[in-house]
Amino acid sequence: MKIFTFLVGVLILNLTISGCITDKIDDNEAKQPDEYEWVDDGELVIVTYDVYGLTDEMLENFENESGYEISLLKLDDAGSVLDHLLQHKGQQVADIAIGLDNTYLQTAIDNNVLWEHNAILQNISESALLPYDGPLAAPFDQGYICLNYDSDIVDGVNYTVPESLWELTEEVWNGKVAIPSPETSSPGRAFMTATTDYFSTDSDNETEWTDWWSAMSLNDVIITTGWSEAYETRYTGGYGEWTDGYVGDAHIVVSYCHSPGVESWYNGNWTKSAALDIPKASFHQVEYAAALEGGNLDSASAFIEYLLSPEVNSKMPIENSMYSALEGYDLPEENGYLFHSVVPSEPAVVSSTTIANNMEEWLEMWNKAMVDA
Amino acid sequence: MPEMNIRLSNSCALLAYTLLVILPLWLALDRLIWVAGANPLDWYLSLEQNYVSQGVIQFTFIQALTSTLATLAIGLPIAWQLGRYKWPFQSLTKAILTMPFVMPSIVAAMGFLHIVGRAGLNIRVDDSTWFTTLIIAHAWFNMALVIRFCEPVISTLDPRLEEQMRLLPAGSSKTGRFRHLWAPLLAPSIAAAACMTFVFSFTSFALVRWITLGDNTLESVMAGIGSSAGIEGYMISRNEIVLGSSMIQFTILLLSLFLMSWLQQKRQSLLPQVSEEVVKQSNPKGWTVIGPALAFALSPLIAVFWASFRIRNTDSSGTHYTWETSGWEFAFSSSNSMTSAWDALYNSLGYATLTLIIALPLGWILAQTILDVEKDKPRFARFLDVLTMLPFAISSVMIGLGVMLGMIRIDAEFFYSFWPTPALAHVMITTPFVVRIMLPALRAIDPEYDECGRTLGISKWRRFFQIKLPLLRGSILVAVIFTLAMSLGEFGASWVVTRNSDWTTLPIMIDSLRSIPYNNSLTAPAACAVSSVLMGITLVLFTWAEKFRPSRDGGMF
Amino acid sequence: MLKCSGLSKSFEKELFSDLDLELEPGEILAITGPSGCGKTTLLRCICGLDKPDTGTVFLNDQNIGSQDTEMRGIGMIFQQPVLFPHLSVEGNLRLGDKNGDIESALKEVGLENFEQRNVTSLSGGEGQRVALARALLAKPKVLLLDEPFSSLDEDLAMKLVSDVRSILKQRGCPAILVTHNRIVAEKFADSVISM
Repeated sequence: MKIFTFLVGVLILNLTISGCITDKIDDNEAKQPDEYEWVDDGELVIVTYDVYGLTDEMLENFENESGYEISLLKLDDAGSVLDHLLQHKGQQVADIAIGLDNTYLQTAIDNNVLWEHNAILQNISESALLPYDGPLAAPFDQGYICLNYDSDIVDGVNYTVPESLWELTEEVWNGKVAIPSPETSSPGRAFMTATTDYFSTDSDNETEWTDWWSAMSLNDVIITTGWSEAYETRYTGGYGEWTDGYVGDAHIVVSYCHSPGVESWYNGNWTKSAALDIPKASFHQVEYAAALEGGNLDSASAFIEYLLSPEVNSKMPIENSMYSALEGYDLPEENGYLFHSVVPSEPAVVSSTTIANNMEEWLEMWNKAMVDA
Repeated sequence: MPEMNIRLSNSCALLAYTLLVILPLWLALDRLIWVAGANPLDWYLSLEQNYVSQGVIQFTFIQALTSTLATLAIGLPIAWQLGRYKWPFQSLTKAILTMPFVMPSIVAAMGFLHIVGRAGLNIRVDDSTWFTTLIIAHAWFNMALVIRFCEPVISTLDPRLEEQMRLLPAGSSKTGRFRHLWAPLLAPSIAAAACMTFVFSFTSFALVRWITLGDNTLESVMAGIGSSAGIEGYMISRNEIVLGSSMIQFTILLLSLFLMSWLQQKRQSLLPQVSEEVVKQSNPKGWTVIGPALAFALSPLIAVFWASFRIRNTDSSGTHYTWETSGWEFAFSSSNSMTSAWDALYNSLGYATLTLIIALPLGWILAQTILDVEKDKPRFARFLDVLTMLPFAISSVMIGLGVMLGMIRIDAEFFYSFWPTPALAHVMITTPFVVRIMLPALRAIDPEYDECGRTLGISKWRRFFQIKLPLLRGSILVAVIFTLAMSLGEFGASWVVTRNSDWTTLPIMIDSLRSIPYNNSLTAPAACAVSSVLMGITLVLFTWAEKFRPSRDGGMF
Repeated sequence: MLKCSGLSKSFEKELFSDLDLELEPGEILAITGPSGCGKTTLLRCICGLDKPDTGTVFLNDQNIGSQDTEMRGIGMIFQQPVLFPHLSVEGNLRLGDKNGDIESALKEVGLENFEQRNVTSLSGGEGQRVALARALLAKPKVLLLDEPFSSLDEDLAMKLVSDVRSILKQRGCPAILVTHNRIVAEKFADSVISM
């Protein structure tokens, strides 16, 4: 009997606790900066995905210069970073988030998980500030998302270079196109955003962008969780064939317009990958570093300044394979980097407001289009 | 007065168990339902209504069923050969063939990846080849179950039964003997092995993650989207998917548990058995089965060890491989972006020890409680029995999600830097095993031993240490080793939890190393190096367990 | 020295009620009866492994009814020799008395040089002798025997019966034997009661 009473007591205890917690959830509001509860604990916890640019050397330099101790919380992609921020609303464990782009940023801002940093930014290029120029996030690199193709295979014999996105829904491209998912990957989401513009302004007034995605789904498009799986593991035109997990079943992939330039750089002025400059089928992406609510604002701001210092940021093309966010720095000319990189003639135009207002709905529409196919 | 103390410790154990094990799950479910709504039909439907989970239910069932069939097809001939005939180094052979079961899944994943990947046979290029590899990998793991369940039955059958059968018309042919003797004899054991294989394949994660090209089981889908779950008003469909997946898994696992316990009763021998000293002949033709089986059992492990030294060098002249230890050096070095294998090793060993310190006494007291209560209140005892088995019916990813969501809700910042956090998941997973091992062992102790001790005037504590403990020695050791091995190799729950914690374990480090993108030729060998370390520790533990296993009926342990 | 009065116990059916029993110092008593009539339960009530529904048990004029088995100082031999398999013969004997004279204890029961033997290798008769030696090392005030001879074959049993009787008489240790075998009862005990 005693045991039984104990158990009942325990169950009641559980119920109360869970009741308490559920209530507490509703109270889990983001911390407000005017209360400035943050503490400088001498640490900088960075939540990010595998950003190449955050090399050991670069991080160590910062540690030595600033005295802050860095620890990295590495997640899978931009989507996981956003998830993490929302999961920890009101009780962030990290101090700075690196890797949200202009298609993910607004959600973070809307949820108040970002704080104004006090880094002094100079010489940021106009294009980097175009999507967002407020105090909650600082752009640290940029690039244009577009399709890349393997020019060795897509040589006009078996495969012709597509001139419109609808060509990719044809039989010949079945199972040969790899696109990262807009739900998790930032290039993937950027590309999807581009398609919303592409198909609304193309000559065909009857089809929507979702129809194209459905058709692609029927044509066995390969959707991966992240960019690296699409580019490294699936794409035949890139460096992937020299990595261990390589499969190589796609000849077209969503990547950056300057990715062929990166290939050329590392190969010593040679590449078989080429960027596809179809009007409106590319998108200008900017990646951000943002200080988090309740985190160490000093160390986060210091890191942002460091990331945007000319010494560090000018190396973005080499260290991070992206354009610098600073004015006056272009891709290097050596090894054909600049030569093989394409600047799209007519990228898709989608305003930040449009993105902010519609992204949630777009993702649902995308999901439905892929499922209903 | 001593009765009061027993009651107190039993109640404390129950309280501790409830808090540690049930509470996180409760919190997680509460949270998920709060976000997604409490409509199980919606949860189920959401799986097919979302692109990320479309086709997953189908895939999970198909691969689990196929794996079960493959496992039986591979395991039964082996069990037959081992049981029927005499083999040199019998126990060593059996140990090698049953060893895969205790291997951490991530080590096996690395092994098979290297056999079929670019550095090996290079057949992992399309759906059919990786699917086949997945099935074979599952069979690799689970053939041990077939052997453990069936071989003792075969080897201890009273030979006079077979002799008699041969002399009867019904048993004069091989098929006749099969139908009338072997099939009914082995059916419950085969069914039990099939059931467990299905369960393990159904909840497979590490293998699915690494061998398939983006295909998902319910388990891996939950792991992938788990970080989006439990957030108010955000990606509600993902919450539904998680709830739907765990609901399906829970049902399947619960059914399997019931089936297993029913089969357990049936397996109390239908036919008379004798001790293993039945004279067996040797069978040279059997080497065509046992030889390849041994090679099969060892190959992924050899592949992993071998691959840890093989460094790929790619330059404009092509790809060639060299033999160096730089993969090992890389793994054991530390940097900002990567923890060193030393840290992961200390953490893993630490977590294993911590798990043992909590799970062993807890499981023991729970088992004892069930026994104590059994006499007076059998229904309550049954309830407790099922309660302790609850974590069995919950897959490791779900347990991880439970811990993660529970911890975030209570105090994210505290638990992020709190070292023991990942161990909580391990305790949840291992305690039921301890109960399962200790309960029959405690039951098997003749109460006369204790009574006799009492009549000799030996006090309670002296009776415990001098009489009870030594009698349970074998089972305690098995429980200890099993708990340590499970904690060291645990992958699913740790994968989810370490994403919200500052600590890492060996299996997670292997996964992270292999996930590092870009053309770093040291990451794969480093992953294999760490896998080799984990493999080595597991092998040591396994050999100890084999020495001390009480040779009772063919149970799983 | 042992006095039980008014003992009764039921387990679904009534086993015994209002039972009185007296044992003088040095006396050996046997209780006979068919199986299931409650003889074993009676012994267990006397040594404390079970609790009687009513009645009292006095040992040397002290009421031991509320005492734990370990404190009562009443020894018991079970039907099968309960020897602990993880200990040798000597180890088992030391459970009775840590510092006891193992050699003479073994000599007393006729098992000289059996110290290091593995208990699982002992025959039934040898096992009961070890059990007896162990119980005696604990210097019990009363020794209870629950049909220890019934699982042995007849000649062995009879030999053991007379050997045990003479050891007990030599020590002056009072004992109660429970058995369904009248012949054994009469040979072993000074007086016989039937239930």
